[in-house]
Amino acid sequence: MSATRRRTDPVNLALAVLGVLVFVFLFLPILVIVVYSFNTGRLLGAWDSFGFDAYTRAWENPVIGNAVRTSLVSGVLASLVATVLGTVGGVALARARSGARWAGLLTALLAVTLITPEVIDGIAILPWLVTLGTDGGLSVVNNGMVRLVIVHTSLALAVVTFIVRARMRGMDEQIEEAAADLYANPWNRFRQVTMPLAWPGIFAGALMAFTLSLDNTIVASFIQVPGYTPWPVYVFGSLKVGLRPEIAAVSTVMLLLTLAALAVVWAVLRRSGDDNAAVASTFTGG
Amino acid sequence: MSRLRPRATSAWLSFPVWAWLAFFVFTPLALVVWYSFGEKPDLFTAVSMDNLSFDRYAEVLDGVFMSTFWATLRIAATGTLLCLLVGVPFAYWMAVKVDPRWRPLLLALVLVPFWTNFLVRTLGWQIILSPNGMASDALQWLGILSGPLDVLYTRGAVQLGVVYNYLPLMILPLYVVFERLDPSQREASRDLGAGRWRTFFSVTVPDTLPGIASGCLLVFIPLMGDFLTASVLGGARGTMIGQVVARQFTSAQNWALGAAMAVTLMVFVLLTVVLAAAAFLLVRAVIRRARHLNLEVTP
Amino acid sequence: MTRRRPPATVRVLAPRAEAGRISRRALLGGFAAIGTATLLGCSGSRTMATTAVPDGTLEDRLNVYSWGDYESPDNIRAFRSSHDITVQVDSFASNEEMIAKIGASRGTSGYDVLVPSGQFVPMMVANDLLSPLDHRLIPNIANLETAFVDQPWDPGNTHAVPKAWGTTGFAYDTTKVDGNPTSWRDFLDLAAGQASGSVSLLDDPWEVASIYFGSEGIDPNTTDPKALDAAEAYLTSRLAPHVRAFNSAPTQSVVQNELALLQMYNGDARLAFSESDDPDRWRFVYPTPTANLWVDTWAIARGAQHVDAAHAFINFMLDPETAIGEVDWNGYPTGITGQRDLAEEWELEMLDLIFPSDAVVSRLTPATLSDAQDRLTAILEHVQAKAG
Repeated sequence: MSATRRRTDPVNLALAVLGVLVFVFLFLPILVIVVYSFNTGRLLGAWDSFGFDAYTRAWENPVIGNAVRTSLVSGVLASLVATVLGTVGGVALARARSGARWAGLLTALLAVTLITPEVIDGIAILPWLVTLGTDGGLSVVNNGMVRLVIVHTSLALAVVTFIVRARMRGMDEQIEEAAADLYANPWNRFRQVTMPLAWPGIFAGALMAFTLSLDNTIVASFIQVPGYTPWPVYVFGSLKVGLRPEIAAVSTVMLLLTLAALAVVWAVLRRSGDDNAAVASTFTGG
Repeated sequence: MSRLRPRATSAWLSFPVWAWLAFFVFTPLALVVWYSFGEKPDLFTAVSMDNLSFDRYAEVLDGVFMSTFWATLRIAATGTLLCLLVGVPFAYWMAVKVDPRWRPLLLALVLVPFWTNFLVRTLGWQIILSPNGMASDALQWLGILSGPLDVLYTRGAVQLGVVYNYLPLMILPLYVVFERLDPSQREASRDLGAGRWRTFFSVTVPDTLPGIASGCLLVFIPLMGDFLTASVLGGARGTMIGQVVARQFTSAQNWALGAAMAVTLMVFVLLTVVLAAAAFLLVRAVIRRARHLNLEVTP
Repeated sequence: MTRRRPPATVRVLAPRAEAGRISRRALLGGFAAIGTATLLGCSGSRTMATTAVPDGTLEDRLNVYSWGDYESPDNIRAFRSSHDITVQVDSFASNEEMIAKIGASRGTSGYDVLVPSGQFVPMMVANDLLSPLDHRLIPNIANLETAFVDQPWDPGNTHAVPKAWGTTGFAYDTTKVDGNPTSWRDFLDLAAGQASGSVSLLDDPWEVASIYFGSEGIDPNTTDPKALDAAEAYLTSRLAPHVRAFNSAPTQSVVQNELALLQMYNGDARLAFSESDDPDRWRFVYPTPTANLWVDTWAIARGAQHVDAAHAFINFMLDPETAIGEVDWNGYPTGITGQRDLAEEWELEMLDLIFPSDAVVSRLTPATLSDAQDRLTAILEHVQAKAG
């Protein structure tokens, strides 16, 4: 298709216009949040004047700082736990004989966790954690951070497992078997052969787990304990009271950090040899 | 020889995942199913399991649950359809028409909203749609509206919000399948005299069915359980089913009824997935057969 | 999983694989057993986590669960900096929501200080959701007017001390609503007329039903099934279609002029008006014939871990200087002696929205918690389903 033809073709022109409109649509509310983070008024939606007050107030508010910290820490911890479990599970599934019943069942159960509405996860896990913490005497689950890590791991487990499985499926098993024939013990085999091959999948899985954790509001709002309020739950709580520009300010900072992190991750994945479509599919958990 | 060692340990390796799922996912879910057979004995007890019955399910099928459920289903179905209508041409444009050098950048741009907090994105719309907001001012300035925009806290606002929130989930799987399409197939189709629309519908679309199916499920399923969008944009008029279920636990303190609602919702979602999978397999089989015949007839 | 394997090659490995399968089943079986045992246990026992005992040293944290925007940020900041305690204030929208959260977590909610309305205190005590107060750690109780201590719902203030009191009414936007509404009847007429589609109600079962009872001259604490049926019929069919939002703290909707007619508490109306660009546009009505006279209280949650800080916080809030700061912020009178004079001395704005006149106060009805509560909750649910 020549460049001149593309320019004059009405269908292509319409597609390009649609593309631009979709981007405007996608970015409009984000832009609004960034702009309103400079609102000096007391309420987010009522524009007063331009200033950096919201940023300084957010910085000085220990509860906001604590919420962001809780989100980041629980995100890292949950993605670690989910990645360890999911990697092991993904490797196991990838190696299963085709038609193995346990593998089919495990896949189905993991799929069920993916499609369970979050509100159901939330109402289910709270009584259970409370039971464990009081009747069961497991007082550690009364800790807000432990609770967040548990629920976020459960949410991300299936995604990590499936990403790792997808990665391992395409892997040449004979390499591993060759290592086995050369009397490498299982641990060395895993560390020196399996891990390096599976690593982009593991990394993408960990990244997804972290994002899911960072964005989770519904389940976290059911199990949250004050002192360990994650950032989205803090925002959700302030819906009832009146939204402050501080929320937009923190969101803007987090957006910038996310963009920087995304750029780094993209570069890493590209270097590991994936094409853009593969990177995109790892990002979305496909 | 090649089947020997690694496979034997494979089931054993999945052990921790089984354990986690059993302890932290399916035991709590089983608890919910159990509660759904209970009752609320008095004002301040959330649930009692002394008299087991199916009464709560009768209450679910009979009460406000169903009317909100149908409204939610309408929002979810419309939302999925709108996402598909916007997502297909957009993903096609991005994956096929745009200069390959620009694709990574555009793809990254689609991902940015996906990586911004869900609630905060929705709050952005609340500001835009407010009667004093910029959408209102813009429409009045253009002369489309004579008074302030009156859409915030309506079902329309929720509909817009969900399309916005779930559109990236539709675009990405579609993009992946469109980009993996083999351009030579389309060229072959054209060389054989098919027009661009025929080529699109008989060559491109069938190959993208998996992407369309997974996109629709990725949008529809979380949408059925979503209550954040409706909490921010819906007010009293855009209530969604997730809110009704949650309210039984967060304020009405009727766990038995809430659990019965949750089980009903869950069964519905599972059925949808099964039906969608069946429909997908059916359509694919039909298309395969149709194409097969064509191939034999054409030469 | 091993069954279909060619026998010759598997023999050596079979025992190991078999072992894996058995122990997995055993483990799953174990989980199932634990699960069942717990399920059976759940219906009977209600173990509660225990409250810490005050030991005279202030903890470094305090978690407060209160109504939205209720405590003055300046006071919170002052308490935080003078005692070096990190204070987190989370908010709820109704007593029911707070009780659901505290009840479901059986003492593991993590909250120390709660703000229940008075009528909910006896039931919270009976269900073991509150810890008794240690009066030695709250000497400022002496600052309360005698009219406010020793209420019927908490004789001897063993579990709660009054925090603030107020009443319910409605605010309206004079640019969108004409006339001079004075009663709940007027409220219903406006909702069905000029303000249709622009109405906000409190997210509270008693308050929503009281609109109808008020308009009909029925006691809002009625438990008469016929009256409740009539309320449900009227509210779902005649009021619900005009309602745009259910919000217990609709400040933002006033400030941004989003809605025209809003059921609100008097102090919230004052807060909202004071933040509006154009406060003259808004009016607040203390509707006839009656409305809720509520008293909110300070209480300490069962399972609280920061009890010394919790007592110190309540004591701090009962100090007259702090209390007037609270009044200035949230617009509700406290039960502290001499607040009216202090308010005039401090020249607080919109005093008539803080202190309803004696004529208004004398016609108010304190809400009680009765057997009708479940029914009221169901009515609100139906109204919410039919709204819009």
